[in-house]
Parts: sequence; C-alpha cells; structure tokens
Amino acid sequence: MAAASTLRIAWRNLWRNRRRTALALAAIGLSQALVLCYDGMLRGYGDWLVATITGPMLGHAQAHAKGWRKDHAMDRTLRGISRTVAALRGNPEVISASARVYAPALAALGEEGFAVLVMGLDPAAESRPMGLLAGSRQGLGGRRVLMGRALADLMGAKAGDVVALVGQGADGSLANDLVTVAALVETPVDQVNRLGVLMDLGEAQELFAMPDEAHEIVVHGRDPERAGQLAARVAALPELAGAEVLDWKVLAPEMVSLVELVRIAWVLVLALVFVAAAAGVANTMLMATFERTHELGMLLALGTRPARLVSMIVVESLALGALGALLGTALGGAVVLVFQRTGLDYAQLTGGGPSQLSFAGLNWSLRIYPRLAFADVARGVVAVVATSLLASLWPAARVARLQPAQALRE
Amino acid sequence: MAALSSRYALRSVGRNARRTLLSVAGIGVGCFLALFMESLNRGRDELFARVGAESGSGHVRVVPRGWRERRDPRLRLADWRADRAAASALPGAKAVAPRARAQVLLAMGTHVVPVELVGVDAAVEPRAFRFVRNVVKGRYLVPGEQGAVVVGKVVAERLESDVGDDILVSAVGKGGDIQSGMLRLVGVVSTGSEEIDASIAQVAMEEVERLTGLPGAGEVTVVLEDWRTADAARDLLARRVAAGDAVMTWGEINPEFRGHLQQDAAISRFVSGIILLIVFLGVASAQLAAVLERRREFAVLAALGMSTGRMVRLVLGEALALGLAGGALGLAACLPVLWRFSRAGLDFRRWMGSSYSFQGVIVEPILYGDLGAWVIPYAAAVALGATVVASLYPAWFAARTDPAVALRVAQ
Amino acid sequence: MYPTGAVAWVRWAAVAGALAAWSPASAAAPPDVEALLSHLDDLYRSKSSIARIEIQVVSPRTTRGMRLKAWTRGEDQVLVVIEDPPREAGTATLRVGENLWNYLPRIARTIRVPPSMMLNSWMGTDFTNDDLVKESSLRKDFQARVDRRSEAPPGWWLVLEVKPGIVGRWARIEMLVSDERLPVEERHFDRKGRLARTMRFDEVKVLGGRRLPAHLVLVPTDVEGQRTEMRYLEVQFDVKVPDDTFSLSRLEQSR
Repeated sequence: MAAASTLRIAWRNLWRNRRRTALALAAIGLSQALVLCYDGMLRGYGDWLVATITGPMLGHAQAHAKGWRKDHAMDRTLRGISRTVAALRGNPEVISASARVYAPALAALGEEGFAVLVMGLDPAAESRPMGLLAGSRQGLGGRRVLMGRALADLMGAKAGDVVALVGQGADGSLANDLVTVAALVETPVDQVNRLGVLMDLGEAQELFAMPDEAHEIVVHGRDPERAGQLAARVAALPELAGAEVLDWKVLAPEMVSLVELVRIAWVLVLALVFVAAAAGVANTMLMATFERTHELGMLLALGTRPARLVSMIVVESLALGALGALLGTALGGAVVLVFQRTGLDYAQLTGGGPSQLSFAGLNWSLRIYPRLAFADVARGVVAVVATSLLASLWPAARVARLQPAQALRE
Repeated sequence: MAALSSRYALRSVGRNARRTLLSVAGIGVGCFLALFMESLNRGRDELFARVGAESGSGHVRVVPRGWRERRDPRLRLADWRADRAAASALPGAKAVAPRARAQVLLAMGTHVVPVELVGVDAAVEPRAFRFVRNVVKGRYLVPGEQGAVVVGKVVAERLESDVGDDILVSAVGKGGDIQSGMLRLVGVVSTGSEEIDASIAQVAMEEVERLTGLPGAGEVTVVLEDWRTADAARDLLARRVAAGDAVMTWGEINPEFRGHLQQDAAISRFVSGIILLIVFLGVASAQLAAVLERRREFAVLAALGMSTGRMVRLVLGEALALGLAGGALGLAACLPVLWRFSRAGLDFRRWMGSSYSFQGVIVEPILYGDLGAWVIPYAAAVALGATVVASLYPAWFAARTDPAVALRVAQ
Repeated sequence: MYPTGAVAWVRWAAVAGALAAWSPASAAAPPDVEALLSHLDDLYRSKSSIARIEIQVVSPRTTRGMRLKAWTRGEDQVLVVIEDPPREAGTATLRVGENLWNYLPRIARTIRVPPSMMLNSWMGTDFTNDDLVKESSLRKDFQARVDRRSEAPPGWWLVLEVKPGIVGRWARIEMLVSDERLPVEERHFDRKGRLARTMRFDEVKVLGGRRLPAHLVLVPTDVEGQRTEMRYLEVQFDVKVPDDTFSLSRLEQSR
C-alpha cells in the first residue's frame, strides 16, 4: 500500500510541474534517440563495409581446385561446374553462386600487345547488388567484352573497338580471338580496372578450351559473419569433393583486420556517446532535483517522513527515466526504421561527398542502411534508467538530511 | 546599467554554489567528451593515412614523366639524386626512399616465380615500407651489400627455397635482351597476407640497375611527419625536383584508399555531430531546469523594476560565466588525458581478434590522439556555444515572467 | 606462351649433334673431358639451321601434340611456324633481336609481345627460360670429370659442377654419354643440390649429315605425370637461310 501510494504521489508530482517534467523527458528521450541513431549507423556502416569488401570479388566463400591459388595454372580447374553451380543454387543457405574463369592473356588494339587478365563471368549473377557488374548496363556475350577503364586508357581503346586476344588454353593450346569492346567499366576492384577484360563465362570457357570448367566458384550466403559455416556446408557437397573451399576471412585476413579496426573505433565512440548522454541526463536530473529544495522542505515541514521523501524522489526519477527511455526508443527506432527503408545516401550526408572514388561510378556503393539490434535498445534503456536512478540518489540523500527551515529558505 | 546585470549575474552565480558547481561540472564534462572525440577523429584520420603511406605509396612521391598515365615500372627519373636531395630538404620529411622496379622471374631449379623486384636503399626502406619490418627468417638487407635478396614468405615457399640459397633472377634489359644474375636469399618477411607475401622481393638498387641496364631510381617516396601537409609538400617539392620529374600525393597514387579515408572521415564528422548534439542537449536541459526553478527570483526582479532587456542580459551573462568556467574546467581536465593519448596512443591490438597474428604489420592499430592549438578554440566553441544557445529559451522565459503570476504560485 | 623456347630446342639438338659428330674412341678408355666439352661448345654453334620438329606435352590432365618448322640464324633470329594441329596451323612466332611477334592466322593479326612477357615459357612446355636466353657453355661454366663407367647402356657418366660465380640455375649436371659420343641421359640438379629434371635421348639417326638422337624427353622431378617430348623429323645445319625469312611480312605469309 505504501509502495502504491508512493508511486501515485510520484506520478502526480511529475505531472504537477509539467514544464520541468517535459524538460527532463525531452533531455532523456532525445539522448536515447540519438544514441540509438548512432547505434543504427554503426551497424549499418559495418554491414556496408563488409558488403563492399565481400560483394564484388571476394564473395562470402570461394571454391577452387587444389593448388590453383598458389600458381594460378590454367589447367587447374574445377570440372562439371554447371552441375555444381546448380547444386549450390538449390541450397537454401546460398543466395547466389556463380563460376569464373581467369586467363592471363595479351590484348592488342593494333600491333602492340598488352598484358591483361581475361575474366569469364556469369553476367546475371555478377550484376546483383554490390556485385562486380552491378550498375553496368552493357551486356556480355556475342563476342562483346567489358574493359577496365584504366586498361583502356593505357591501350588507347574505347567502346566499339575491336581487340585481339591471345592466351593459353587450359589444354596448352593457343587461344586467340577478336572481340569488340562493348563498354569501359570502373568496378570497385582496382585489379579489374587496371588489367581486366570481362567476357561472358560460356565464351571464355570455349575460347580457353575449358568445357564446363572454371577456375573459381564464388558463393554468397545470408550473413557474411557466418561465412565459415557456409564454406563448410559448401565444401561438403559431393560435387566439390577434392576442391578447396575457403571463406572470405581466410582469403583476405587483412580485410578482416581493417573491419575490426573500424568496428573497435566505433565502439570506442559509442562509449563516449553513452557517457555524454548519461552525463546529460544526470546533470538534468541533479539540477532539477536540487532546484526543488524549497518544495521538498515544505513537504518535510508538513510532516512527511524523510524516508518517504527519498523513496518518492527515487521513484519519480525512475519513472522519468523509464518514460524518457521509452519515448526516446520510439523516436530513435522510428528514425532508424525510416532510413532503413530508403537508405542514407552517403554523398548527401557528407555534403557532396568524395567524387574521385573508383567506387563513384556505381551509386549503390554509397548507400548505408541503418539497423538496430535488440541488444542496442535494451542497452540504451537500461543505461538511461540506471543513470536517472543514480542521479537521483545524491539529491535525495541530501534532502533527507535537510532541516525544513533551512530548506524553506532556499 | 550593464554593470548592474553583470554584477548581479556574478553574485548570483556565487550565491548558489551547488547549482553553479553542477552547471560548471556538466559543461566541463560535455566539453571534455567533445574534445576527446575530436582528438579521436583526427587521430583516426592520422592512423589510416599513416597506414596507407607506409604501405608503400608514401605521402608524396617523385615520379618520372609519363608515370601518371602509364605506371610502367621501367620508367626512370631524370635525376634521382637531385630529387632525393630536394625531398630530404623538405620540412617534415620523415623518411626518403628511392626505388627502382623491374618485372623479373625468380627461379630455383624448375620452380619459377614472376615478381616485381624492387631495388631499394636498405638504410631507409624499413622506415618507409612497413611490410618489410617483420623478418621471420634470416635478416633484412644490409646497406652496401651486393647480390642479396629479401622475399616475402609465399615467394620463398613457391621457390621451395630457404635463407642461404642462390636464386636465379632474369629480367628484360634495356635493349630487350634478357639479363640474368644470381641472388642470395638473406631474409624472408611475413605480413600475414598471402597476397602481399607473394609480391615482396627486394634487393639493393644497384642490382636492378645491373639487371635492366636502366640507371638510377624510378621513384623517390617520401613519408612525412604530418600527413596533412602532403598537398603543400607536393607543391613545394614540385618546384625543386629535376626538370621532367613530377610529384604526386598518396591520394593521387592510391585514390581508392583515399576514398576509404574520406568516407570514414565523413562518417566520423557525422558522429561527432551526434555527440555534440548530445552534449548541447545535456547542458541545455540542465540550464533550463535551473532557470525554471528560479521563476520567483525573476518575478521579484521584475517587480523591482528590472527591464526585460536587462533580465535577458542577466541570464546570458550568467551563461557566459558558467560557459567560460566549464570550458576551462573541461579543457584543464582533458589536456593531460590528450597528452597521454597523443604520446602513448590507444593500442587496439588486444581488442582485435587474436586468431590472426599479423595485425601489427598490415595495420598497426595504435591510435594516437591529436593535440594541437585547435583544442582551445574548440573547447571555447563547445562550452560557450552550448551554454549561450542553451540559455536563449530560459532568457526569453525569464523575461516573460509575469511577476504577479509568478509570485502568486507556490513553488 | 611464346616460342622463344624454340631456340633452346634447336640448340639442344645442336648439342646432341655435336656430340655425335665425334668419331668414337676406344670404348673402355675414359674420354678426355676438357676436349669433349670444348668440342661440344664449338659444335653447338651452327650459323643457321632449318628444322622440322614434333613436340608432345604430357600433363596429368591432357596430352597435346604439335608439329612445327623452325628457321634460325645466329643467336637471335628465329622463326617458328606451327604445321599441326590444323586448328593452330599457320600460327607463327618471329624473334629478331629484342623484338618478339606472334602471327595468328585465325584472326589475321600480328601482335608484338611486350618485353615483360618474353620471359614466359612457350605453350606450357617444361623448358626453362635460360634454356632460351643464355649462351650456356658447358666448358666455361662447369668443372667436369668422369665419374664412372656404365655398362648398360655402355658409356660414361660425367659429373659437371658449376664453377663459382657463374649465373645459371644448375649447380650440377650428371650426364651419361654413350660410347658413340651421344648423350643418353642428363640429370640437372638445382642450386640446393636437388634433382630438378631429367632428360633422356634416344632414337639415334642421321639428320642433317650428323648422327644424333632424334628424340628427347624432359621430365621435371616434382610434378606428377608431366613431361615434354621433342622429336626431330628433319634438320639442316649451316644451310643458307634467306634474309627475308626473318621479317614481319614473311611472318604473315608464312606457311
């Protein structure tokens, strides 16, 4: 009964002084909302970073014939890949799977030969969002190829030019053909831009004497963090027996360290954000409570027991904290949800943004989708409530020891 | 009359010690956090710039004519010694590394590895190129030694060779003929990245000269103390290098990396904004809370005849005083922390996944905070900005107080 | 990828031929090694040659055969034209000094090979780069001695150790020379003393006025199931090769 009435009194107190309450709620709510926005950005950026790394070239997992990664020999191929890719696509864990051919070759516009890397790609699969060919409108096939822009500049080639390709087939034979440059591309992968001639997979297989064969199968799953499990599952397929299947973290450990470094820096900042928010909340609560000394003195003078007063203040603070946290969560959550749908256009965010990026040709790369996990929300609410509580203890304790006359004078 | 409000302001600040202390503490904490955040941001920018520069591209580089268009490793500088001298004379130059590159084949028996051989100045190179600092077998090159080569771990594996072995090197010489030589493997380096370990092969610059017949260096790479001076350094150096040679910054050499940095920096500015907003919010709400409780006080002042304007000046004056004090407090508390941060840095290594042992080489994850003259105006801006802006509503509110109403209502 | 290795094969053939040109001495007496090597080096040089050669590359995966015709003059002029398989017939490679071109009949294009790619091996065979480039001199680069007598096949095992300071990938070569002064087997040891590859010579016949092994097999040691075989169908040594053979225009009409 005492608890219930304390609660009722606390609640009435809150609403009796609407301005003060509104102020405190605003401070707490907005702080919480901002923290959640930051959390959302952090997760969204992390997702984007990993997607940028694994999207175009690396994928979540790759399969190769044993030993290919060491010497890139033309004849170390995976066989029967149409069956393998079909089997992979049938797996519910696999979002996309496609094969690639890598063939070093000479390309010549006129008489001068240039060292290039011919890549046989599956256009449909590689055009997926964040894929190597995403945003590229020109099609492959019909002896048309895409050429990396830096390579084209070096060769003096442009769209429409006919280029001779000479290389070595997987069986050692001489592979040569004339192809037309359909368009120049800028992909997120520097090596492709400097050396790459992109060809339809089937045509590459034919040119380099690799019937139903490929050098690499790249697989995307649902969650890049669980790539290891994906790789294990893929490796278990009978079609890939004897192949080497690795996930992106093993293939590019330097990328992993970069992602972790970025993540740690952000978590550090999160700590700062938290402290700032907590400090703000605490400051507000302290200030508000101290300013009520006169009012509290009055209550003491009227005979309220100090213990009751303390509990009232504490409950008020808790209620304030909880309510503020809720409001803040609603606000912050709403903001994140809105931007999750549309994505945050990075270029706009940074006021025009960097325009010299080799990423710049493809606008998908600049979109961040904020995302919240339950842990973020829970953490925020707990922190806010705890801070409000703690912030009320000092003034409450002080008030309890007050002499009413002293208090009334303030 | 102005003196009156400011005197009142100061007295009122002094009178309610607790409120004042609370305000100043709040502002101080906010200021501290904002300063720390900004130092972190600048430090992170520096970390990435450093990593990029020490991964080979340097902060600025002297390149031969034509290199900008075609990055042909066979191009050579017009006068590399003059270029090196000019670079060494640059203010803030930390390391000046000349290099000559050649596309070669290394062979041991029937094992053949194509690689880009880099001729270096062994005395300077490890300072300019982080990837050769981690020698796992043997040793790095000794200045003046001839016929020695240091390779990445994967190169040694593919050659099935070890320290002490004689490796055959073949390169295409100046006239198109093929030159060969023997190199003794003296050291193996490891960076933890297979791709990088497969691309490292370093010898003395004279070796490359002998093999290719192309004289001198093809580049002079400069690592600066302060990455932000790169553009200025480039302009300065461009005027002093040999005729025909050009100077490029790391951003021009490696635009993708600079892009990464810019993106990250931009997002950090955004985040700083969030923190500042939170700080402002905290300070503002506290100030507002303080003012709201003083309605009676303002009512009395109004009843005594204080004009609206003066009351506003009163509140703002108090805010100014508090802001100055809080800012000073925040700054004073933060300076030693920033000092430590900028000297010792934050070492991330123990927080990063321990399954990879190489992080220290690829990305040295030690973040050095930045400490400079910027802290004072920054602290002032944050503290004063927060308090003054935060006091605008309370000032207006105080001015609007109807004495009769305020006095009548019991707090 | 590009037939710079052709020069090597023709040289190996010349080496073999040089050895064969010796008149056989008494079977039981060990040969004068110095004189033998010196003679080899001298006869190694032919001012020019025209040859038709058959090559087979066997890998774990596949077996591929080619027939080609090669003209050489001096040390740095080589023209190689593929005659068989029909799919690649007419493909030609011309090396003149520092320049290397390929002619591809299927697309009727001539392409110049950039210097950096001249170091690559040709058509996936097992011949190494310094096979094609260097003036390897057995007498000058190696210290040779007779190691032991072999009874089956009858001949002498020679051991050649590379002299200090010599640039090359072999530390040691063990060579079995028959009593007819023809090579039977060569073992090449790398700079760590490991057996890297073995060459076997057989099918001795008279070609171009010299008696020499027409068939060579090169087997790398540590690659499972891999070997390259070369067989001489015809050879003419020191024959007059017309000047215009080594020209681009000839390249494009070559047949």
